[in-house]
Amino acid sequence: MAFVRRHRGILPLALLLPGLAWLIIFFALPLYYQGKISLETGSIFNGFHFNWHFRTYTDAWSAYHTQFLRSFWFAGLSTLLSLLIGYPLAYAIAFRGGKWRNALLLAVILPFFVTYLVRTLAWETILDDSSPLVSFLQTIHVISPHGRVLATTGSVVAGITYNFLPFMILPLYASLERIDDRLLEAGADLYGNRRSVFRKVTLPLSMPGVVAGVLLTFIPAAGDFVNATLLGSPNQTMIGNVIQSRYLELNDYPTAAALSFTLMAIILVMVAIWAKVAGTEALMGTEAKT
Amino acid sequence: MSERDIDKMIDELVEREISRRQLFRFGAAGAMSMGAASFLAACGGGSSLGGGTHEQTKVVQKSALGTELNFSNWPLYIDVAHGKHPTLEKFQKKFGVHVNYTEEINDNTEFFGKIRQQLANGTSGGRDIIVMTDWMAGKMIKLGYIEKLNKQFLPNVQKNLIPALQHIDFDPNRDYSVPWQSGQTGLIVRTDKAPDVKSVNDIFNPKYKGKVTMLTEMRDTVGLTMLGMGKDPTTGSVSDMLAAIDKVDKYVKNGQIRRFTGNDYLKDLPHGDTWVCYGWSGDAVQLESDNKNIKFIHPEEGFMLWTDNMLIPVGAPHPYTAEVFMNWIYQPEVEAPIEDYVNYVPPVAGTKAALLKIDPSVAKNPLIFPTANVLAKGHAFKQLSPTDEDKVNNAFQKVIGA
Repeated sequence: MAFVRRHRGILPLALLLPGLAWLIIFFALPLYYQGKISLETGSIFNGFHFNWHFRTYTDAWSAYHTQFLRSFWFAGLSTLLSLLIGYPLAYAIAFRGGKWRNALLLAVILPFFVTYLVRTLAWETILDDSSPLVSFLQTIHVISPHGRVLATTGSVVAGITYNFLPFMILPLYASLERIDDRLLEAGADLYGNRRSVFRKVTLPLSMPGVVAGVLLTFIPAAGDFVNATLLGSPNQTMIGNVIQSRYLELNDYPTAAALSFTLMAIILVMVAIWAKVAGTEALMGTEAKT
Repeated sequence: MSERDIDKMIDELVEREISRRQLFRFGAAGAMSMGAASFLAACGGGSSLGGGTHEQTKVVQKSALGTELNFSNWPLYIDVAHGKHPTLEKFQKKFGVHVNYTEEINDNTEFFGKIRQQLANGTSGGRDIIVMTDWMAGKMIKLGYIEKLNKQFLPNVQKNLIPALQHIDFDPNRDYSVPWQSGQTGLIVRTDKAPDVKSVNDIFNPKYKGKVTMLTEMRDTVGLTMLGMGKDPTTGSVSDMLAAIDKVDKYVKNGQIRRFTGNDYLKDLPHGDTWVCYGWSGDAVQLESDNKNIKFIHPEEGFMLWTDNMLIPVGAPHPYTAEVFMNWIYQPEVEAPIEDYVNYVPPVAGTKAALLKIDPSVAKNPLIFPTANVLAKGHAFKQLSPTDEDKVNNAFQKVIGA
């Protein structure tokens, strides 16, 4: 105790230590090894050697940019869909939920009690070619009479949307629920109709939830490979599938590591831009106004 | 002859760091009868099939046996009853060895990737027996990841391994590998939707567009497609293989091929998502018995034949126990119940006769016991050099969408 009192400056650092150690062991070290592997060449038969082989990156990009772009396209689309579905839902639970609030929230979280894989497999059955749902869609001409849902872009995007929707709803709910009713009343007192109160008060105040929800949905969605494997065809392959096959099927560790790094870098840049444009601006703006 | 066997065995035991005193205490009597048993086996002196069984049990060095055996296998690849494996229970009863049976192998390459680092360091992660398909077994043997077998502990294997599997290219004298099951890769069809499928090339018929799947196992998909192109997968060149991959790619792009599967087709065929696919004979037996409209077809151009092999990885903690297990399995009456459940092609001679007694309908199934005429049209996939393997595998993985 005396030691700590004498070196008062050490205490915060000492308290930081567990977190720091965590970051080093589970973040920095793996990242370092991954980076090192991505610059190696060789094969599993002859061993791998580190030689600053940056060409792996350009080769990997030129071979797999389609899958990269597809991943971001699918992830973006799913995020947008989640937002369109999730916002009204979160809004309804937060403002109209009443005593059912907790039950409704539980209903949102409940699917998480079942494994991700099992839930996706269930969709494989729900959407199969002879399912009632698909024949219904055929009769109302949403899809062609011999069309299918499974193994199409639609089913993959739907699968991703379904699987990550709760990541959108929960932060949205958290920020909507925190909005002070008196602000809405004040808006109404100042001659705002329902629409303008929503636009000028509720929406800006819920922006932190939107920003967080978009991040929490988009990032895992971009790296997902389960939905494309189970609900897609070879024409829906995402970058996650490529990385998985490079690692496990071909034991081509350098390319797999390079692809992971590229994915990480692109997501980082996208997140930075998003935080700049949507995030901080919206956050700061509303803080200042209220 | 028996003298020499005893000497050899003592050498082996010493190598295994069992002290001479231990051997003296427990082993001498056993060692004697071991010599006699292998003599009988080698000279074909065992009376009927599995006749050597009795002697063999007496011979096992109880002292050298471990208390457990760690066996890694593929899912659904051994008999199951009431959530347990009767065969393994029988083994435990007989030898007092508990088998830790893990169904952790889903894919040759994936499993290889998982344990490669350990094997390179000379440990097996506690595994005593692993089961790998021919080409991967060959690759692991070449890398020095597999222990050499002590054949004097495997008299039943010497005696009962079917002749077709005794000499194979990756392990000409079966010094490292003991077959677990063999299987055939051909076409599985929904006969109500696709009634006249005879040839491999019928899978490319536009009538079945989007209702067709192939396998993620490169050798099965490329091999069958090559057969359809009039090339022999056993002797064909790398460019023949790449040509087959190009052909598959064309049909992926135009939407003919819906996707590539492991045995997911088990679900796709009954659901009607798939009408024609490349698939494995053992699965087909199960599918056919559940659904009259599903049938395995040996394409007129031929089909693929493969074997999964038991291997002892380097650093296995109980290699002797593993050999005792392998030897014990190689008795028709032990193999029959396994076969009755897994429905692939057994490598143990005499299994059919043994199975006729317990389940005649399965014993008469031509997919499990194919006739010599059928087997003559089976092809094994060529052993590839590491460079060729990379080249073909890369091209294939790109086409199957990864």
